[in-house]
Amino acid sequence: MSRPKTPYVAPEERAVPDLDSGKYLVMWQGPNHPGITGNMSLRLVIEGDSVVDCETHVGYLHRGFEKLMERRLWMQNFPLVCRIAVPEPDFNEYCYAAALEELAGIEVPDKAVWLRTLSLEMIRLASFLMWIGGQAGAFGHGTIAQWSVTMRDYVLDLFEELSGGRIYHMYIIPGGVRADVPPGFLRHVLETMTVVEQNLKDIELVMFHNAVMKMRAVGLGYIPPDWVDRYGITGPNARAAGFKRDLRKDRGYLAYPRLSFEPVVGAESDAFERARLRLAEMFQGIDLIRQIVDFLPSEGPFRERLPNPLHWKIPAGETYVAAECTRGEYGFYVVSDGGDKPRRVAVRGPSYTHAVSVMERLVRGVNIADVAGLMVSLHTYPPEIER
Amino acid sequence: MRELADMLSGRYGAREWHDQRKDLSSVTVDASKLRDVLTWLRDEAGYAHLAFATAVDEIERKVFRLTYTVHNYGTAHGILVHCEIDRDRPVMESIHRLWGQAWTYQREMREWYGIDFPGSPRVDEEFVLEGWEGPPMMRRDFDSLAYSDATYAERPGRETRDPAAYMKEKLYPEADA
Amino acid sequence: MDIKDIIAPFAVWKRAFEKPFTVRKPIDERPGAPRYRGFHINDADTCVGCGTCESICMNKAIDLVPVEGRSPSGGDSGLRPRVDYGRCCWCALCVDICPSGSLGMSNEYLWIDSDPEVFRYVPGVDPKPWDGAELGYRRAEGYRLLDMERVPMPELSHAEGVKSFLELVKGYSREQAEREADRCVACGVCVASCPAHMDIPGYINAVRGGDLETGLRLLYETNPFPEACGRICTRACESACAIGSGGDPVAIRWLKRYIADQVELADYGKSLPRAESATGRKVAVVGAGPGGLSAAYYLALLGHKVTVFEKDEAPGGMLRYGIPEYRLPYPALDKDVDYIRSLGVEIRHGATVGKDPALAKLREDFDAVYLSTGLPSAYRLDVPGDEHPRVLDGVAVLAAATRGEELGLGRRVAVVGGGNVAMDAARTALRRGCEVDIVYRRRQVDMPADPEEIREAKAEGARLIERAIPLRVEDSGDGGARFVWNEAEMVQKEPGKRPVPEPIPGAVVTERYDSIIAAIGQGPELSYITEADGVEVRRMKPVTDRTGRTSVPTVFAGGDLVNEKKDAISAIADGHRAARAIDRILGGRGD
Repeated sequence: MSRPKTPYVAPEERAVPDLDSGKYLVMWQGPNHPGITGNMSLRLVIEGDSVVDCETHVGYLHRGFEKLMERRLWMQNFPLVCRIAVPEPDFNEYCYAAALEELAGIEVPDKAVWLRTLSLEMIRLASFLMWIGGQAGAFGHGTIAQWSVTMRDYVLDLFEELSGGRIYHMYIIPGGVRADVPPGFLRHVLETMTVVEQNLKDIELVMFHNAVMKMRAVGLGYIPPDWVDRYGITGPNARAAGFKRDLRKDRGYLAYPRLSFEPVVGAESDAFERARLRLAEMFQGIDLIRQIVDFLPSEGPFRERLPNPLHWKIPAGETYVAAECTRGEYGFYVVSDGGDKPRRVAVRGPSYTHAVSVMERLVRGVNIADVAGLMVSLHTYPPEIER
Repeated sequence: MRELADMLSGRYGAREWHDQRKDLSSVTVDASKLRDVLTWLRDEAGYAHLAFATAVDEIERKVFRLTYTVHNYGTAHGILVHCEIDRDRPVMESIHRLWGQAWTYQREMREWYGIDFPGSPRVDEEFVLEGWEGPPMMRRDFDSLAYSDATYAERPGRETRDPAAYMKEKLYPEADA
Repeated sequence: MDIKDIIAPFAVWKRAFEKPFTVRKPIDERPGAPRYRGFHINDADTCVGCGTCESICMNKAIDLVPVEGRSPSGGDSGLRPRVDYGRCCWCALCVDICPSGSLGMSNEYLWIDSDPEVFRYVPGVDPKPWDGAELGYRRAEGYRLLDMERVPMPELSHAEGVKSFLELVKGYSREQAEREADRCVACGVCVASCPAHMDIPGYINAVRGGDLETGLRLLYETNPFPEACGRICTRACESACAIGSGGDPVAIRWLKRYIADQVELADYGKSLPRAESATGRKVAVVGAGPGGLSAAYYLALLGHKVTVFEKDEAPGGMLRYGIPEYRLPYPALDKDVDYIRSLGVEIRHGATVGKDPALAKLREDFDAVYLSTGLPSAYRLDVPGDEHPRVLDGVAVLAAATRGEELGLGRRVAVVGGGNVAMDAARTALRRGCEVDIVYRRRQVDMPADPEEIREAKAEGARLIERAIPLRVEDSGDGGARFVWNEAEMVQKEPGKRPVPEPIPGAVVTERYDSIIAAIGQGPELSYITEADGVEVRRMKPVTDRTGRTSVPTVFAGGDLVNEKKDAISAIADGHRAARAIDRILGGRGD
C-alpha cells in the first residue's frame, strides 16, 4: 500500500478554517449515523472530500451517574454502575466492587476471584465481537457484522445462564459474586468457545485477507508512538503503537497473575494493525477463558458476608482501581467520607481521550468515507465519556 | 516510594503522602505548585501517563479538592496528586500544555463544578450538558432530586405506605387520641 | 495486491448451506435461562409486607400498598410490594434482601400491552401467567444480603447457673450490640405488636449509631422500665420481627437492655425530659408494680404530684416478688425505680389500700386515683386435698425467695403449671437444691411460658411431665404429700381448635413429693373496692373504657387487674395511657 500516513499535527496547533470563505462545508456525522459508535456526533469541516477540522460532541447519553451515585447507598450503586458502559458493563461492577472492598478492608474469597476473572474475560470477548462487527460494517462488510453479533449473542447466552441477565449482568457484587456457576455451565462455556473460535477464523480469513479491507484500513489513523503518553492513550490503541502495556499484567489484579498469557503488541499503529491486534486478543481471550475453566475451584464460598446493605458505612478514604477493558484503562476513583453513600465516584473511561482529543487530531486530512472506519478503529463507547 | 515522597516534599513542599496500595499513593501540594509538580513527575520521575483529572466538592471546608492521577508504567505505580482551591473563587492553572487530553477534563470541571482554567482551549464550551441553565451540577449544594421534582411530573398512581404507620392506622389509631 | 486477498473471502461460501444461527419467532420458543431475571413473583402468604425491598430499591420502583383480603396482624403489615416496571431495572436486589424469602423472579420476559398502566402490579396478588414459575432468579444457596443469625448472647452455662442466683444473661458488649443492631432493617413491623408501641427501629438505630442518649430518650418516651423490660419482657416484638420471618429475629430485648445498662443513672437526666412546671394537682396510684410506677412516671412528667401506695416493703410489684433475681437482678430494677423516684414520685410502703387508707379517702384527698393492684392471689389446684400443708402457692414461694426467707421445700418438688411463674418456681427450687418435676396438663408446645424459659428449666435439670391431669393430693404420712394424676392423650375435639387433654382410663400415676407448688394462675384481690366507691366491677375486673377510666370519672385502672395480656409491658402501656387520660381530666393536653 502506498498511501502516505496521516500527517502529524502538533496537538496544540489547530487551524481554524474560515467558514465564510466558501471553501468549506460543515457536516455533522451523528448522533444518528450507522458509522458512529453509539450516540455521539462529530462536527466535521470538510474541504472537498477530506476533513480539515473536527469537534467531538458528546452529551446525548449523559445520565449523571456520578451525581446519582452520591445520593445512593453503597450497595444501591451496584446495579447502577453497570450502565455506564453498556457493551462492557462488568468492568464497572468490578472496579466499583474492588474499590469498595479496598476501602472497607474486605478480602474476597478465591472462588469469587476466579468467577470475576471469568466474567471479565467473557465480556471482553463479547465487546470485541461487537467491535469487529462495527469495524467490518464501517468498511462495507455488513455480513461480518451479522456473524460477529451472533457470536456475541452466544456469549450473552452464557451470561444469561450465569447471572440471569444478558446485557446488565449485575453479577460482581461487593464482597464477591452473586452465585456459583449453574450445573453444566462450564461445558456450555467450552462449547461456545469452540463455535466462536471457528467463526473467528472465518472472520479472519474474510476480513484480514481482504483486498478492500487492506486498501481502506492500512495507513488509516496512524497514531505516532509519542502521542501515547501525550494523550493518555491506553489499551489496544497503545499496544498497536508498540507499547507493551496491559493492566492485567502490570497491575496483576484478580486471577491474572495465575494465568499464562503475554500482551499482544503491534508496531504499525494504523487502523489495520489495531484491528489485527484486537483479533489476536480475541483468540487470546478464548484461550484465557479455557484456562480459567480449568483452574476454577469447584468448592468454596463465593461471597464474603458484608454488613447490612441498608446501613453499610465505609471508612473515610479514597482509592483508584483500574482494569484493562477492551478499550484500555477503565478505572473508578472512589472517595468515602465515612458515610453510607459515596462522597464522590469518578469514572475513567478510555474513550474519554480516544474519542475526543485523539479523534479530533487524527481525523484531519482523512477522506469523509473513512471517518467512520477510523472512529471504530479507536474503539470508543460514548457513555463512558459522559457518565 | 519513600525517596519520591521525600523528593516531592523537599522540592515542592508536598505533604500528606499516603500509600494506599503498593501500586498507588496519594499526595497533596499547593495549587500554585501543582503544574511544576506534574511537570517534574512527568519528565523526571517517569509518571508520563495522566489517567484522569477530577474534582471533589468539599463544601463543608469551602474548597474544591482537585485530583490528578498520574501513572508510571515503568514501576507500575500511580499517584493521586491533590491540591485544594477556594470554592468561592474557583480558578486553577491549566495543564493543557502538559497533556493533550487535559483540556477535556478541565472543560468538564468547568461545566460540572464551575472551576475556571484560564487559557485552556474551549474551556467555556458546553461539554455534556448542552442547554443546561442550572448551577454546576456536580456541586454538592445542587440538589438533583429537588430539581427533578420541580422539573418533571410524577407518574400518577404511585403511592406507598410505611408499614409501621399503616399498622398503627389500622390496629391502634387511638394511641394519639 | 496479493491475489490471495481477493480470493480468500470467497472461501466462506462453504457456510451458505449450513443451518442458520437465527431462530424463528414465534415458532421457536426461547425461554429465559433458569436464573433469568424476569417479572417478579411473590408468595403473598409468606411475605410479611416489611418493605425492605422498597428500601433497597435504588430506582424507587416498589411501593407498599394495601391489598384486598389482607389486614395487618402480628408480624404482617398487610401491605404488599407493587412493582412499577417503568422504573424497575431488574437488578433483583429486592430478591436478594427479602427477609422472608417470598420474593423471586420468573424467567418470563415477554409481556406486550398497549396500555402502559398495566405494567405496574402487585406480584402474587394480581394474577399473572408466570405466577408460581419454577424457573427464574432466586437467591443463590449460601448468599444473603442480610445476616439471619443473631449475635449470640453470652450466658452462664446451665451447670454454672443452677448453682446460684447470679444473673444468667451477661448482656451485649458494644461491638456485639452494634453488630446485632446492624441486622435490623428498620421496617417498623414490630411496633404494632409492642403493647407500649415503643419506637423500636428508632432505638435500634441509636444503638447502631452509638448514640445511647437518644436511645435512652426514645425508650423512656413509652417505657420507664428499660432495665426490667430489657431482661424479662415477653417481647411480642421479636415474634413480629421481619428478620424473624427468615431467620433469628433481631434481639430487640437485649438491645433495649444494652442501652439502659450502658447509661449510668446519674447521666439519665442529660437525655431525659422533666416536667416544666408543677400543676399543683395530686394523683394517687395504688400498687407500685410496673403499671402503677409507669403511670406515676408519666404523671410526674406532666407536672402532677404523685403518691404511690404499696402494701409491700419494696417497690416493683411482680418484677421484684414474682421474677427471680437470676433473670432480673434487684439493682437493675432499682435503677428503673430510682429514676422514677428522682422525679419526685413518693412511694409509701406498707400502705394497704382498703385497710389504711381506704379508697374513699384517696378519692377525697387526691384529684385522681389509678388502680394497678395486679393479680396477687394464686389459684388453688382445685382437686381434693389441695389444702394440704405441702401444697404451696407459686407466687408466695417466689416472693419468699425474694425476701431471702428459708423456703423449706424439701428434696422432691412438683411444680404444677406451664406458665412463666411455673418455670420461675421450678428454677428457683432447682437453685435451692431440689429435684423438680414440672407437671402440666397438656404438651410442652402448648405451654404459655416463654419457650426459652422452658428450654432452660429443662437444661438446668427439671423433669417435664406432660399430659398429666391432677386428680388429688394425699398425705404421705411422712411429712410429704402424694400427688395423684391421670395420664392423658391429646384429642382434637373440634377442627381448628386446639386439642384438649382427655384422661386415659386407668392410667393413674402417684408420686410422693416433699412440696407441691401450684402455679396455675392468679386472680385479683378486689376487696378494697367497696360498693360505696361506685366503681363497677364485672367478672372480677373493674370495668374501664379504652383509656382505663372506670365508672367513676376520677378513678382509673389498668395492668394485670384489667388487661388480658397480663405482662409487664402491657401494664406499663396501660399506665402510660391512663396517665395521659388523667392529665386530660386534670386540665392538661395529655401529651
